[in-house]
Amino acid sequence: MTAWVLGLVLASYAPQQAGSALLDPAREARVQALGKQLRCPMCQGLSIADSSSSAARAQMDKVRELVADGKSDPEIRDYFTSRYGEWALLDPPASGMNLLVWLLPLALLVGGGFAIARTMRRPVPAAEAPAPPTEAERPPSDDPYLEAVRAELRR
Amino acid sequence: MISILGTTLVLGGLLAAAFGAVVGIEGGLRHRPNALKIVLGAVTVFLVCMLGANLTMVYALVTHDFSVHYVSQVGSRATPLVYTVVSLWSALEGSILFWGAILAVYVFAFSRAHRNHPPTNPLLALGTMLAVGVFFSFLIAGPANPFGRVTPVPPDGPGPNPLLQNHVLMVIHPPMLYLGYVGMVVPFGIAVAALLRGQLGDAWMAVLRRWTLIPWMFLSVGIVLGSWWAYAVLGWGGYWAWDPVENASFLPWLTATAFLHSAMVQERRHTLKLWTVSLSLGCFLLTILGTFMTRSGVFNSVHSFTQSEIGPTFLVFLGVVLLVSIILIAVRGPLLVPEGNLGSVASRETAILLNNLLFAALTFTVLLGTVFPLVREAFSGVRISVGAPYFNRMAVPLGVAILFLMGVGPSLPWGRASPETLRRQFLVPAAIGVGVVLVCLVAGLRGGLTLLTFGLGGFAGTVTLREMALPVRVRMREQGEPLPQALWRSATRARRRFGGYMVHLGVVLVFVAIAASQSYVVHTTATLKTGERFQLGPYTVQLTGLRNGVDPHRRWTAAEVQVTDGRGRQHLLAPRMNFYERSTDPIGSPAIRSAAFEDFYLTLLAFDQGTPSASFNAWIFPMVSWIWWSLPLFVLGALFAAWPERRRARADAPEPVSVPGKAQSPGAAA
Amino acid sequence: MSRRGLWIGLSLAAVTAVLLFVLAKGFGRDPHEVPFQLRGKPAPDFTLRRMDTGAPVRLSELKGKPIVLNFWASWCGPCKAEHPVVTMAARRFGQDYQFFGVVFEDTEENARAFAGAPDPSFPQLIDERSRMAVDYGVTGVPETYFIDAQGILRDKVAYPIDPRTMMEKLAALKQPAGPLSEVVR
Repeated sequence: MTAWVLGLVLASYAPQQAGSALLDPAREARVQALGKQLRCPMCQGLSIADSSSSAARAQMDKVRELVADGKSDPEIRDYFTSRYGEWALLDPPASGMNLLVWLLPLALLVGGGFAIARTMRRPVPAAEAPAPPTEAERPPSDDPYLEAVRAELRR
Repeated sequence: MISILGTTLVLGGLLAAAFGAVVGIEGGLRHRPNALKIVLGAVTVFLVCMLGANLTMVYALVTHDFSVHYVSQVGSRATPLVYTVVSLWSALEGSILFWGAILAVYVFAFSRAHRNHPPTNPLLALGTMLAVGVFFSFLIAGPANPFGRVTPVPPDGPGPNPLLQNHVLMVIHPPMLYLGYVGMVVPFGIAVAALLRGQLGDAWMAVLRRWTLIPWMFLSVGIVLGSWWAYAVLGWGGYWAWDPVENASFLPWLTATAFLHSAMVQERRHTLKLWTVSLSLGCFLLTILGTFMTRSGVFNSVHSFTQSEIGPTFLVFLGVVLLVSIILIAVRGPLLVPEGNLGSVASRETAILLNNLLFAALTFTVLLGTVFPLVREAFSGVRISVGAPYFNRMAVPLGVAILFLMGVGPSLPWGRASPETLRRQFLVPAAIGVGVVLVCLVAGLRGGLTLLTFGLGGFAGTVTLREMALPVRVRMREQGEPLPQALWRSATRARRRFGGYMVHLGVVLVFVAIAASQSYVVHTTATLKTGERFQLGPYTVQLTGLRNGVDPHRRWTAAEVQVTDGRGRQHLLAPRMNFYERSTDPIGSPAIRSAAFEDFYLTLLAFDQGTPSASFNAWIFPMVSWIWWSLPLFVLGALFAAWPERRRARADAPEPVSVPGKAQSPGAAA
Repeated sequence: MSRRGLWIGLSLAAVTAVLLFVLAKGFGRDPHEVPFQLRGKPAPDFTLRRMDTGAPVRLSELKGKPIVLNFWASWCGPCKAEHPVVTMAARRFGQDYQFFGVVFEDTEENARAFAGAPDPSFPQLIDERSRMAVDYGVTGVPETYFIDAQGILRDKVAYPIDPRTMMEKLAALKQPAGPLSEVVR
């Protein structure tokens, strides 16, 4: 522990290596887009494009190198999944069980929309509740809220 | 000594809560009005014990009493006083202790506010809240006891987590979140009481709404401050990473927002009762789940604390609360029969129903995305990630739809709208929305989704402002009131309406700011030797030198740069790298030059003392600070809406302004 | 209880059961662990320059002895504590294993200062732009990789290695490959 702390004090002024030079704008845009999809191993939640940690910088340099070598996007993603597993992809590929994470929210939306449509058409329990007021029952050309305001002003 | 005192207080709180919970629920179920006095006493004892335990811990922290287990974990003589006090909630045990204190304050406030109610409801609600108090004081007394003794007494401690002592926002952000989280226990208690009794009257509903609004406000503040903190401290140039802990705070906010809207339908139409009450239960369940995410060590996150022992206990509690909620909903829920029905398709009810559907879908998506890696690992043993790209893809369309509804809902009358009303209500706002898009196009802005957001922002903003201005205009024109008086009167006579629209304006602002800062961001990286410069947009950045420094709790290196903005003004910025004893990779402190319409954001990536040289990440974020500047609108709006109506206004009989639904047609209420 | 209530209750209970099961399964897992997919696969080839002599070192020409690769950086605190462990192991088992240090995300100048006098049993390699480190699936420093005599990447340790773990992993390298790597070959 003591050695650890001492070591840190010594090490703390040591610079880290700077990142590699950027590519031309078109290819650099690809590098950044790919970087946004890959998960940084040290900082966990962030992408390697966002993180400034050493491991993320190393991986961004690797992405840049692979793009410069003319590798395609799927090839580059494969490069990372073959080392870090599916874990490396921030966007879970839509296949197998992962389909659930993409489809369940949609199912909820559709099911909920269906339920709402059914509720709207449900017959009115006539004894308890009168029909909702229609436009005709109201003073024709105005907002009910404003009517309320006027009513209050009149008092 | 301190250990004994603290433990005794916690045990006292445990006993008081247990006693009050039993008496309250039993007395409420058997309709014993005189039980209320006993429960009020138990609540007071619980409050005194919990506050006492927290003050004891603060005292131990400030006096560096390292014989106390928690102090030996997070204390350090080198830590500045502010952060020493703050370290009360910077680690697991202390934060649970702090939870307990806030819980006690909420329960006490609730008991004082409603002791004059017919006692059955407060009894059941207080009993439920105290039952939650039993769990938390049990956690503090047992699995997460911060008052344990340490022998031999260490001379010094490691200090709190470096990330948590990097910025002053950390002093206010966590308490705000806790106030939001813990506050949800009150609506939970009220909802459980309503279900136990099998009825939910208007008066009790108003109580439920107000007590949801308060934690909702704190959650909003906590979330916005949290994103501000992430932006100002974490140095990756973003403010929201869809990190499990961020999601944990977002989830109850979403359900609480849905609740605040569905409560209006319940009030006007006396329907959706079960759904509304379920949302209240959901808010609390999600805060417990959120606390579990932060504290159990199962989820991975920037600020989740380390592996802990309390996870299983918490999971059992979560299971019990879930079970109780489900049984209550299934068994007692059908008693909450709708006494009314919904309006037609083009009505405000429908808009709010759709709003609730979208909020439910958003909640479900965020929850699913957060736990899905665990699901995948539990069932197929594969580790996967669900990160920002997923959440953005799913949440952005839902958010845009919500923004659209925010313009539609307030324009629609309750009940039914004629085509003519629709035309009149939508023509101007829609035209303004389209106008905004056209202006953006002419100004050279591109991006379909972004422009759609701007257009809808213009649409919803216009509707909101119009709805706020209409009563003012009526008062000025028909009553001859001067503008300030008309404004004040129309605002105070319809507090909830006015407050709600203030919040809507804040939300529009946040949407526009997020869209602009995400879409029109400019970014580059560069390495400079001293004297060299690089250009980003209108900004010129020149490295003037490196500087090293030592603080009591860290060492740092700063790159001093001179930034010249588009108007030739010069700013000195110094992004830093901080080296804490406890962390391996250095932690950066970005330097930000914030202006009204854009931020220039600079982080230090690497440096070399020899040359000297430094590498930077630089961004221009348009409008990003508007996200934080929307905060006053949220706070003021919520306070305005939650503020108790004046007695006089209530005596003025049927409260026409705040209940326009009833006033709109005497026939409907008959 | 009505039929509808029962139905709602049961479906909610099912969702709850799944949620609780999944959360309970999560206990004991280290949320910070990053999967290592290269275990049992042929180690990626590399050609790196030795920091002391400048001579190139090529993995494919090193066959015959098991190899230990230790990734480190001068700015990394835990590496300081770990370095003597690897150095001692290299001196003691240098006949049977080849040890290499690989400098990660660091300047050569600082790496030299960190490593001190060159040690022939534990040569340090310069990895420009950390290309080779990412090939091996490094997630940070320090990390130690174990390659058997057949060039199969058998294991990695993603924390500061201690003498006992080092001994265990070295011994395991001499064992025939487990079923996993058999399948891969």
